[in-house]
Amino acid sequence: MSFIKPLDLVFLFSGFSVGFGHCIGMCGPIVVSLSLNLKTRSLWIPYLLYHAGRITTYAILGGLMGFSGSFTHIAGRIAGLQKGMMIFAGLLIIVMGVAMNRWISIGPIFGNDYNPDGVVSRSFRKLGKVQSTAVYFPLGLLLGLLPCGPVYTALVAAARTGMDAGNSIEATLAGMGLMVSFGVGTIPALLLVARLAHLNWLKHKAVIYKIGSILMIAVGIYFVIKAVRY
Amino acid sequence: MPDFVKALTSQAGRRTGNRFRRRCRLLPAALIFLCLPMMIWGRTARAADKLPHITVNCDVHKGACTQEIGGVEATLDISPKPVKAMTDLRFRLMLSGKPPAAEPYIDLGMPGMKMGPNKVRLEKVGEGVYEGTGIIVRCPSGKRTWKAAVTVPGRGTVEFIFDVVY
Repeated sequence: MSFIKPLDLVFLFSGFSVGFGHCIGMCGPIVVSLSLNLKTRSLWIPYLLYHAGRITTYAILGGLMGFSGSFTHIAGRIAGLQKGMMIFAGLLIIVMGVAMNRWISIGPIFGNDYNPDGVVSRSFRKLGKVQSTAVYFPLGLLLGLLPCGPVYTALVAAARTGMDAGNSIEATLAGMGLMVSFGVGTIPALLLVARLAHLNWLKHKAVIYKIGSILMIAVGIYFVIKAVRY
Repeated sequence: MPDFVKALTSQAGRRTGNRFRRRCRLLPAALIFLCLPMMIWGRTARAADKLPHITVNCDVHKGACTQEIGGVEATLDISPKPVKAMTDLRFRLMLSGKPPAAEPYIDLGMPGMKMGPNKVRLEKVGEGVYEGTGIIVRCPSGKRTWKAAVTVPGRGTVEFIFDVVY
């Protein structure tokens, strides 16, 4: 059994092409929000952690699909969780937009200039940058659960590869491999969006920053409405 | 020395020149930032406009739909009804005329939106009758229009466009 299967490559390229269309539209606002909140910090480590988290979730879901061989069985069980994640993502974008504008004094959620004075806050501050960067991995894990058409399509294929596999382990690994390939394929488009939003001149132009934060709040509200109607 | 040379070589002139050069360097990035969302939205809108077949041509909830493909009739039926997303669906294709060179297949997708490959493999269950199972996934955008592109090897592809229930 070769490690990379032709279907994995198909979904790697599918992720790549879908990334530049669908993902920019659906996940772009989240990526831009995170990018603007990073302010002066380096983009790459937080984003690699975020995508590693997202792809880990895809791999777990792909493994479950492959193991069960049934998309509808697993999808039915996680539907409620996905709806919750969509609401969470919307609220997160809204809070980030509000924090960026400093309309409410809560500081940037994952920013580096959050400087609170409380006992608990001081303890968090001691953990410093490492903690605030590390939070991107669990965030990726959670947001990997966001409902998305192309992800569902890849999961349908993962379930099918499971059905075709010889045993449970092979089925699980086949499902995981396919979803990892798909997730890796979506990275370039999202990194491009993140990089554009991370341009220094853009972050230091007060007007653009303000407009960006208002757009983020609008997109967050849109996410929440979509989630409630989902 | 002419005035404009004096102005350029003076400290204030150099500062103005540096500012100008800096702004020139920022211009491409500004253009990308401003144009990218417009390009994405524009491309999506154009893609939707270019698709003349984006209108629904099949009511799958009522019964089977028939279209012509390469001089023969292709009839597609999806069950159970009403046709719902995120459930296991049975696709039944009936072809008139001579049997095709290879077994036909169906690609499921949304008109004007890339969703990734979602193929329904069909197996022959009778003379000119093929069946297979597939799943229409749910798009969080709320759009309900889907297409089933039926490909019959040697004859071509025909698209059945229909609304599903979420």
